[in-house]
Amino acid sequence: MVNFTIDEIRQLMDKPTNVRNMSVIAHVDHGKSTLTDSLLAKAGIISTAKAGDARATDTRTDEQERGITIKSTAISLYGTLPSEDDLKDIVGQKSDGTDFLINLIDSPGHVDFSSEVTAALRVTDGALVVVDTIEGVCVQTETVLRQSLAERIKPVVIINKVDRALLELQVSKEDLYQSFSRTIESVNVVISTYLDKSLGDLQVYPEKGTVAFGSGLHGWAFTIRQFAVRYAKKFGVDRNKMMERLWGDNYFNAATKKWTTKGEHNGKQLERAFNQFILDPIFKIFGAVMNFKKEEIATLLEKLELKLPTEDKEKEGKQLLKAVLRTFLPAADSLLEMMILHLPSPVTAQRYRVETLYEGPLDDEAAIGIRDCNAKGPLMLYVSKMVPTSDKGRFYAFGRVFSGTVKSGIKVRIQGPNYTPGKKEDLFIKAIQRTVLMMGGKVEPIDDMPAGNIVGLVGIDQFLLKSGTLSTLETAHNLKVMKFSVSPVVTRSVQVKNAQDLPKLVEGLKRLSKSDPCVLTSTSPSGEHVVAGAGELHLEICLNDLEHDHAGVPLIFSDPVVQYRETVAGKSSMTALSKSPNKHNRLYMIAEPLDEELALAIESGKIGPRDDIKTRARLMADDFGWDVTDARKIWCFGPDTTGANLLVDQTKAVQYLLEIKDSVVSGFQWASREGPVAEEPMRGTRFNIMDVTLHADAIHRGGGQLIPTARRVLYAAALLADPALQEPVFLVEIQVPENAMGGVYGVLTRRRGHVFAEEQRPGTPLFTIKAYLPVMESFGFNGDLRAATSGQAFPQMVFDHWQQLPGGSPLDGTSKVGQIVQTMRKRKGIKVEVPDVSNRTLEELDYVLAIPTGKHMKYHMTKSLPFFFKRWVCFNKNAQLKPLNTFDHIQAEATRSASVVQYEEERKNRR
Amino acid sequence: MSSESSAPPVLSTPAEHTFFEDPTPKSVIEAAGRIQRPDDELFEVYEIARTATEVQQRAWKRIALQFPDAMLPDAPWVVGALSRELDKLAESAQETEHKPSREDNTKGQVDDKNKVRDRGQNQRQRLYILADTSYSACCVDEIAAEHADADAVVHYGRACLSPTSRIPVLHVFTRQKLDYEAVLASFETEFPNKAQKVILMADVMFQEHVAPVCELLRGKGYTRVVATEIVHDPSGTIPNRQLLPHESRTMAEADDDLHDYDLFHISTPPSSLLLTLSSRLASLRIYPTPTSPYTTTSSPPDPSATPSILRRRYALVIRLATASIIGILVNTLSVKNYMSTISTLKSQIAAAGKKSYTIVVGKLNAAKLANFAEVDGWVVVGCWESGLVEQEGLWKPVITPFEMGLALQREEDRIWTGEWWGGIEGVKNQVSESTKTEGDSAQELREGPYTRPEHVEGGVSDEESEPPVFDLRTGKLVSNSRPMRVAMRGSAAADAQPNGDGGNGQGLGSFSLTRRAIGEVALVKGEASPGAEFLRSQRTWQGLGSDFNQDEEEGASTVVEEGRSGVARGYTVGEDQQRA
Repeated sequence: MVNFTIDEIRQLMDKPTNVRNMSVIAHVDHGKSTLTDSLLAKAGIISTAKAGDARATDTRTDEQERGITIKSTAISLYGTLPSEDDLKDIVGQKSDGTDFLINLIDSPGHVDFSSEVTAALRVTDGALVVVDTIEGVCVQTETVLRQSLAERIKPVVIINKVDRALLELQVSKEDLYQSFSRTIESVNVVISTYLDKSLGDLQVYPEKGTVAFGSGLHGWAFTIRQFAVRYAKKFGVDRNKMMERLWGDNYFNAATKKWTTKGEHNGKQLERAFNQFILDPIFKIFGAVMNFKKEEIATLLEKLELKLPTEDKEKEGKQLLKAVLRTFLPAADSLLEMMILHLPSPVTAQRYRVETLYEGPLDDEAAIGIRDCNAKGPLMLYVSKMVPTSDKGRFYAFGRVFSGTVKSGIKVRIQGPNYTPGKKEDLFIKAIQRTVLMMGGKVEPIDDMPAGNIVGLVGIDQFLLKSGTLSTLETAHNLKVMKFSVSPVVTRSVQVKNAQDLPKLVEGLKRLSKSDPCVLTSTSPSGEHVVAGAGELHLEICLNDLEHDHAGVPLIFSDPVVQYRETVAGKSSMTALSKSPNKHNRLYMIAEPLDEELALAIESGKIGPRDDIKTRARLMADDFGWDVTDARKIWCFGPDTTGANLLVDQTKAVQYLLEIKDSVVSGFQWASREGPVAEEPMRGTRFNIMDVTLHADAIHRGGGQLIPTARRVLYAAALLADPALQEPVFLVEIQVPENAMGGVYGVLTRRRGHVFAEEQRPGTPLFTIKAYLPVMESFGFNGDLRAATSGQAFPQMVFDHWQQLPGGSPLDGTSKVGQIVQTMRKRKGIKVEVPDVSNRTLEELDYVLAIPTGKHMKYHMTKSLPFFFKRWVCFNKNAQLKPLNTFDHIQAEATRSASVVQYEEERKNRR
Repeated sequence: MSSESSAPPVLSTPAEHTFFEDPTPKSVIEAAGRIQRPDDELFEVYEIARTATEVQQRAWKRIALQFPDAMLPDAPWVVGALSRELDKLAESAQETEHKPSREDNTKGQVDDKNKVRDRGQNQRQRLYILADTSYSACCVDEIAAEHADADAVVHYGRACLSPTSRIPVLHVFTRQKLDYEAVLASFETEFPNKAQKVILMADVMFQEHVAPVCELLRGKGYTRVVATEIVHDPSGTIPNRQLLPHESRTMAEADDDLHDYDLFHISTPPSSLLLTLSSRLASLRIYPTPTSPYTTTSSPPDPSATPSILRRRYALVIRLATASIIGILVNTLSVKNYMSTISTLKSQIAAAGKKSYTIVVGKLNAAKLANFAEVDGWVVVGCWESGLVEQEGLWKPVITPFEMGLALQREEDRIWTGEWWGGIEGVKNQVSESTKTEGDSAQELREGPYTRPEHVEGGVSDEESEPPVFDLRTGKLVSNSRPMRVAMRGSAAADAQPNGDGGNGQGLGSFSLTRRAIGEVALVKGEASPGAEFLRSQRTWQGLGSDFNQDEEEGASTVVEEGRSGVARGYTVGEDQQRA
């Protein structure tokens, strides 16, 4: 059974130098959970026999059924180095004794769940990147690597499924070596692309022991170091030197008994050291076992000094192979060794991670506590996700203690994502009821937890939605909010079958949005409960959870719907003007598109409303070509004060402008949240306030006059600026054998897909096709693809960017886009016709004027109107003006048939 | 040249919405251009004879005539006709004085009448025209009537029939003609099955036609058609209507369960009635009457859109559920019980830990409501027909008291069945229920579902906070949805301890005079007033710089800037020689 106790673990926690927090990350189906099993087996959590099949970290039934990981699962293990000697190999950091605590998080590989990976990476310092020998580096490998580097997490690599290369592809030793080095090379390319320079060299090298090779399914793995240790004794050389020789162009010339870097000796091809000393024994075992050569097996075992247990000796074929290799090269040993030796301890990691973790100044008490991983410092804890408990509706807050010690019963400040120091918003105070240690699907109670460890907290789940910072320090800033690589772009609306179940649905939605770091639940203005997920699979899992677990009532789901964004494609054809209802205030605005790069920078948080105005202006001037004065006069971001639309003040010397700022900003938030075309959020639009005229009395320029006016002028400006819709686009990566490629292309073309890369994976018949596919067209794509390629193609889709929806103007009801807009408006229960440009400008030009009745009418028209409007106003000849003579107190009559003509010429002449 | 301008001129002014939409109702324009109706038709429509008799009998002396906007042009004619009729009646009454009384009344009443008549000879009835109703044309404008010191109001046109509190009312629904043949044909296409259970109902203007149409239909073989009659009861299953007894309806069937009945409505009902009925009956069919010169509805509501309208209402309810400040909008001055409704709403909102402000703005429009930036949402107290406020461009949502009741319910209890009601009737009994549940929840919160752990060293010493509320609309947690909650609890639990972090030592019991810290806002029972908090945290403009905020750097507002100079033809800014 479990070969360590919670007490032992607790003791190790006090030695942060001997703690390793790491996540297992990889592309889907590269074997993370299977590999994790061998570690669990080593720790005695599952039996060795089951390891590889159990996938013990897949704790949910649907994970087991579908064979994919959906939620990340944390587990703590106890690891020991064989001897004090090995401690010397831990470079660059101290350690204390040979016992180590490994907090491991197994994460999902499917792109749809990569938010889980982000949440896992935040609380760990190292990552075990699993790469399939045959498939190599795939899109998700790259994504997770990029994420881990952004979080300053050090990677080590294991090349998994080596058994497949041997058994299925029957490759030669040299081919295998080439395949290994190609894979490592491509991993290193990714690492050096996204490298954070302050971290130093993070590339992986087999000769340094940061790459392992193995098979999770069979439970074996090795690093070069392990072999080097063996051979070092034999050759009588230093093992570090030996390690270097066992990789790359190093050869042992048996004739001269010398090492050389040349592959030839006397015209004879030498065998590469890696092949000769490492692959050879493994190939021999494979050959012997798979060809049922009993005697050879026996001699091999003897040579390798291996003793099989009696029940294993009876086995044959693959089973025997598994048993032999597991005894020869136990995966857990080499992995643990690699992690302990090469991954940073919290003490090491937090020293360089504090800059990217902490929002506040780096010299305050909290930052210093984090930097030193000080268990006696102020508590700084980041909750990265919520884990459901067995108690329905309650959650463990899962996070990492970065500084201080968290105890049961301690009262903490809970700072939500929008908290700013000194303000009360998003700040709660609450006592932590219990602290627990997460052990896979189970938890173990623990009294307290010092800095550097991963913890589960009971009793604060009501205060946090998904993530947040916990602290005991009043001046503490937030730990940075996580940025996900996926966006919830696929939505479905949910409603209850029986109205009586509504409270349960509401409760279910609340729980759902807690239980997943990425899913978004909301209610649209048309009264639909909407669930948004990263992809079809993610949404399916979420809705399934919602129906059967969180809400537990029968539900009706709509078809998947794409969320669009409204934007503008050009500059407003003329300055839009709107007058306030009392006609005393006027706003003049122009809309123009924002650079896509800038929109992305805003969305990724590089440029945000909270930045210092001057540095932001400099950045925008340098990187995005903005005028510095313009950049300094950004009034706000929207929608929700953070979105990628800007309101820029370009007025000159306008009196009382600051007074109306709040009102105009409110109108801007409103307009950018519900755009003019279809009440979809706006994106990538810049609004310039050109001029403002205001009434001199404050009472006449209040919010009532200006908020609706601001919204209207923004709408008009956007509608005059060639409005367009943006649709989300997936990046699809498809692995497909050559013979099925035709089918892939067929399906992609039918669905407006656009292939931009196609490459063959060297040494295999597999092709990797990369394409952009609109999310709208992606519904049912998997099924179509499966049918067209008889199940040989495996797509991975991740949201990539927004793209303008082609097919005409959204204002034209007959165009394709126009029709999409109309159905959208119909669904939302708003007027089907878009209030198009002509509606807002030409028709509104059809003045409705209140003309005083009686004989003074002419006087007013000729004298006062030109004076006020600086333009002539005439009435059409057939305009009917009928004064109401019945009641004198109804003094005004309105008519729509007046029209305005501006005698531009005349004005020019006057000048 | 004027008509040939094809492109809008630069800097053209789009007319503003309010101007464009509603300042003078379209009906006025239409009414102005319409043809004069023959006198005898008007006589019938305005029921001059009946009105005069009624006035005469009830001995009203000062009578206010209230017209909707569409009928205002006819008002002078009505006044003339009515006074002629009254004169005629007075003369004939004088004649009858000499003859024995035709009526077999008791002596007392006769005496009473004589007295009245005596005065009537000296003083003729005075008629006043009320126009420009304060809130909505369907309600009786008692306040305006009181200005004229009127004894009674004669209300013309369609009415919501909400009970009034002060002045007696005579409703003249202004009868309209109806083409029976067309109605029957439409009915037959809508209901091919003759055994269908159908309720026949009409707009008040067409009410007199209900019984004859019903008879005709029964003649055609529709055995289970039920007619309705007008009662003054807006809270009935069908507002203001009562089913007429008929042999097809057994007495066992309760009046309020009409779920298996379809409804056939003559003329298009207002949207609020549509919403109300849509959940109470199996289905709704409408026979649209041709627009008559006397109706005001410009765009008839589409019954097929009701589900989507109801869904949008639900979205508003959800928005209000997390609102912290709610404005109670008084949209009536005459509907009975409106004062008590306001006070129950107030207590209801307070019980939910929210802040309410009561505001009267007259006729609603977007601009008026947007002046109160602090308010997160509005609840309108008015008659049941005007409760549905669905104007374009409202900054914050406006909902009915019924919807407010739902919004204030806890999520665990809130059920949206599609049932809807726009009026203030029926608010009361809900209040007692919901306050009870709120009380329970408060109790529960106070005790806490878990035992509070003892104090552990190393933590912060502040009091524990209330958990935030999950906002269904945005999917985020909202912490300020119950700003008055702490105050409520603070007053309940007398041990108000000084707030640790603010350093403001004045607890609840403290009466000593203390100097207020700079930038501190007013406290209500130890909690910052939501309005003041809004000013402090949300408004960036808080007036010109203050002498008291010395630590704050000189606000931008107080810095003198160089403005524009020059003449109106073109100003210059600063050194810039370019004319702007």
